[in-house]
Amino acid sequence: MTAATGRPDTGERPDPLRRPEAEQSASRDRRDAASPVRARGGWRALVLQPVLVALGLLAYVVWRSTTTLSDTEARQLGAATLWDSVLRHLQLTVVAAVIVLLIAIPLGIALTRPALRRFTPLVIGLANVGQAAPAIGLFVLLADWLGFGFGTTIVALVVYSALPVLRNTMVGLQGVDARLVEAGRGMGMSGAAVLFRVELPLAVPVMLSGVRTALVLLVGTATLATFIAGGGLGVLINTGITLSLNSLLVSGAVLVALLALAIDWLGRVVEHVARPKGL
Amino acid sequence: MSDTLSSADAHSTDPAPQSSEGRRVSGVSIRLDGVTKRYPGQDRPAVDAVSLEIPAGETVMFVGPSGCGKTTLLKMLNRLIEPSSGTIHLGDEDVTKQDPDQLRRRIGYVIQAGGLFPHMTVGTNVGMVPRMLGWDKERVTARIDELLDLVGLDPEVYRDRYPKELSGGQQQRVGVARALAADPPVLLMDEPFGAVDPITRQRLQDELLRIQEELGKTIVFVTHDFDEAVKLGDRIVVFDVGARVVQYDTPEAILAEPAEEYVADFIGAGATLKQLTLTRVNSLELKPVTSASVGDDAAEALARARAAGDEYIVVLDRRGRPISWPTTAEVSRMQQIPATVDEKLPVVGLGSTLNDALDTMLAASQGGAVVIGRRDSLAGVVSIETIMDAIQRTRSEVAG
Amino acid sequence: MWDYVLDRRGQIAFQAFQHVSLVVQCVLLGSLIALALAVLVYRSPRLTGLANGVSAIGLTIPAFALLGILLAPFGFGITPAVIAVTFYAALPVLRNAVVGLAGVDRSLIESARGMGMSRLSTLARIEIPLAWPVILAGVRVSTQMVMGIAAIAAYVLGPGLGGFIFTGLSRLGGANALNSALTGTIAIVVLALVLDLLLLLLGRLTTPRGIRV
Ligand SMILES: Nc1ncnc2c1ncn2[C@@H]1O[C@H](COP(=O)(O)OP(=O)(O)OP(=O)(O)O)[C@@H](O)[C@H]1O
Ligand SMILES: [Mg+2]
Repeated sequence: MTAATGRPDTGERPDPLRRPEAEQSASRDRRDAASPVRARGGWRALVLQPVLVALGLLAYVVWRSTTTLSDTEARQLGAATLWDSVLRHLQLTVVAAVIVLLIAIPLGIALTRPALRRFTPLVIGLANVGQAAPAIGLFVLLADWLGFGFGTTIVALVVYSALPVLRNTMVGLQGVDARLVEAGRGMGMSGAAVLFRVELPLAVPVMLSGVRTALVLLVGTATLATFIAGGGLGVLINTGITLSLNSLLVSGAVLVALLALAIDWLGRVVEHVARPKGL
Repeated sequence: MSDTLSSADAHSTDPAPQSSEGRRVSGVSIRLDGVTKRYPGQDRPAVDAVSLEIPAGETVMFVGPSGCGKTTLLKMLNRLIEPSSGTIHLGDEDVTKQDPDQLRRRIGYVIQAGGLFPHMTVGTNVGMVPRMLGWDKERVTARIDELLDLVGLDPEVYRDRYPKELSGGQQQRVGVARALAADPPVLLMDEPFGAVDPITRQRLQDELLRIQEELGKTIVFVTHDFDEAVKLGDRIVVFDVGARVVQYDTPEAILAEPAEEYVADFIGAGATLKQLTLTRVNSLELKPVTSASVGDDAAEALARARAAGDEYIVVLDRRGRPISWPTTAEVSRMQQIPATVDEKLPVVGLGSTLNDALDTMLAASQGGAVVIGRRDSLAGVVSIETIMDAIQRTRSEVAG
Repeated sequence: MWDYVLDRRGQIAFQAFQHVSLVVQCVLLGSLIALALAVLVYRSPRLTGLANGVSAIGLTIPAFALLGILLAPFGFGITPAVIAVTFYAALPVLRNAVVGLAGVDRSLIESARGMGMSRLSTLARIEIPLAWPVILAGVRVSTQMVMGIAAIAAYVLGPGLGGFIFTGLSRLGGANALNSALTGTIAIVVLALVLDLLLLLLGRLTTPRGIRV
């Protein structure tokens, strides 16, 4: 479980018929576009965040090189070991994210096609109940079933973070003005052409924000991998807690928070750049 | 335009290339036979056994109360809605036996607010169908510019803009240009001008009349506005619930002899006054006027105007479109003819009705209006007295 | 499984009560803090931006990391659990309250002031009621989210159902490990859904009829 959530804006269970999220984010986007002040504010936030991350990292490095550590601590916090933990954490995040994209986006597209639309409430309902499950419970249950290790961690991460991508894909596609779809069909575009050239490009902003949410969720949830021998930065925190070594604990916590912020920032940059012009 | 015509010929299966009035015709006829649409779960069909023949190159207006099935019928023509039964022929081809996507590329479709794709530039929007048809790049580019020009938008200015950077009226023009892109013989329009203000709507109507004059498509046009139907239509279909055809005739005939009480109600009060809508500016005698191009020598233009006895000089931009009409007194204080665009310049088209012309003058608080013809070029001026005289004459004719 | 639940129904009920009580109290506290902050900032675009930034960034910090950091000064027990849960509970409410308050039609506020209402009563009688559905939506997000975070808090010896999950983890492979983890997980899911329904109901009852959708 992590603090990063897929729905910072609204508590509405995503009801496919009422789409508060799409409407809210759409109106927010419109405000961004309409007011240059806000747009500049957006850029300022984009600049501020990496500065924050850099400062945090600098502070950590300074702390690390000025503190005398015990042998155990020094072993765990050696540059190579730390780097391995970070890489492993990233690996968990990225592998799970790729799988999530491969599953959730096609599924989201399929569930918005007329033929399958009637299954939408069912799938969303199930996903919501799933989302209410605590991540740690999911990890433990899956570990009981599949055993400890990298594979199980990935499965747990995928299950846990697929919902934001699935939901935003559907919300984004449903948010596309039906008249544009009709205009496309009316001028002789095939269903696939309308999907790829009209619907998906217009849904990109909402979809990307779902992907960013999922990524942040993944970074946070991957800290729990330590409990089922999945590795990553959670190991540092966990070891710190069990051995009462605050330096380990704080190192793991700070690094994972910085990683989450950095990835969130990357996501925002991508969203900014990939937003179709003209919207 | 040669490109337009040659590709039109390729589609045209109509044997008569010229209509009776000698107008150019690039459209094909449309024939509906017992066309019915039943939506699932509804006991009455939305469209009930409609048979209709629409001649090539004519503009046919669909009017009728809300929910009577106009849109449903229109969308069956390009198979956005599949008919439950009945046949539809475009020219000699049976619509229901064709691949719908291929079919739709040959039928222009315009909806309210243009239905422009917001993430594509104006040029990309317009070039969509030609690209799908596999035209090469240069041909598509040339076509985009030609069409923007046709609908009165400067390609240099508007080609690379996004739809949100256009006004509602401009978006609608681009919508029309996009529908015309592959030079389809048939144009379907579903309340295209429903979302724009009255003045803009009138301009768009004039524009459409002008374009149709040039191209001679078969146009099926749904509207709620009976005046619009009278103004634009060669014929009008009045529908009742279930798309029952109550009357199908020319505007003149429908106004003179409504087939049923229902039609008379629908036309509303003042049917005789609506006859005014039938009289167009092109039936009036236009006054020639002195014109000058931007950058011309002011003294020389002034001399010409004085010689002709004109009180105004109409200023044309480099594409020959009127942009202002300063008085001779104003011009006498100038060195050169300025490029200032007078936003309030009263402009009417040759196809405008007398009502429109009067409205335009009153809206601009002017005693006359500039009349434009093909490609927005100057055709002359018309004064408020001429219009009033014509209106008086029409009224007495109708009354007597 | 059923036997397991029956045997421990007393313990389950107790831990469930503790879990919900932790969550409810923290959400209440967090919401009040968030609302107070929102009222302080929503009139200034600069402060609004700052508040949105804080809540966005705060939400990216992994819960396990924050719990870890809090352990250093506060040690094991209920304090770090309460602080962490309240922190995460406040963020979505803060964000939604700012958006909701800023979204109230200016002309309504002006007409309220125009008829002689003070700033405070405008806030209490016009702005907050109008922003209420959005604020409450934030509270629902918070509640859902911190139900899960409270489970992790059990690891630092906070109270609640997370205990069952961690017990299951520590005995994995042994007898009743699965039962224990399942009990904790399912109980949390059920309670989260119940709380969500209650909040939905609260929303129905407290939203002014004129702005109900
Ligand atoms: N997709 C649909 N499913 C079921 N019923 C429909 C559907 N589309 C239209 N109808 C029904 O069919 C009838 C005709 O609708 P249609 O849209 O063709 O009317 P219209 O004449 O275009 O009305 P308007 O002037 O308001 O646009 C209406 O009673 C409408 O409720
Ligand atoms: Mg309609």
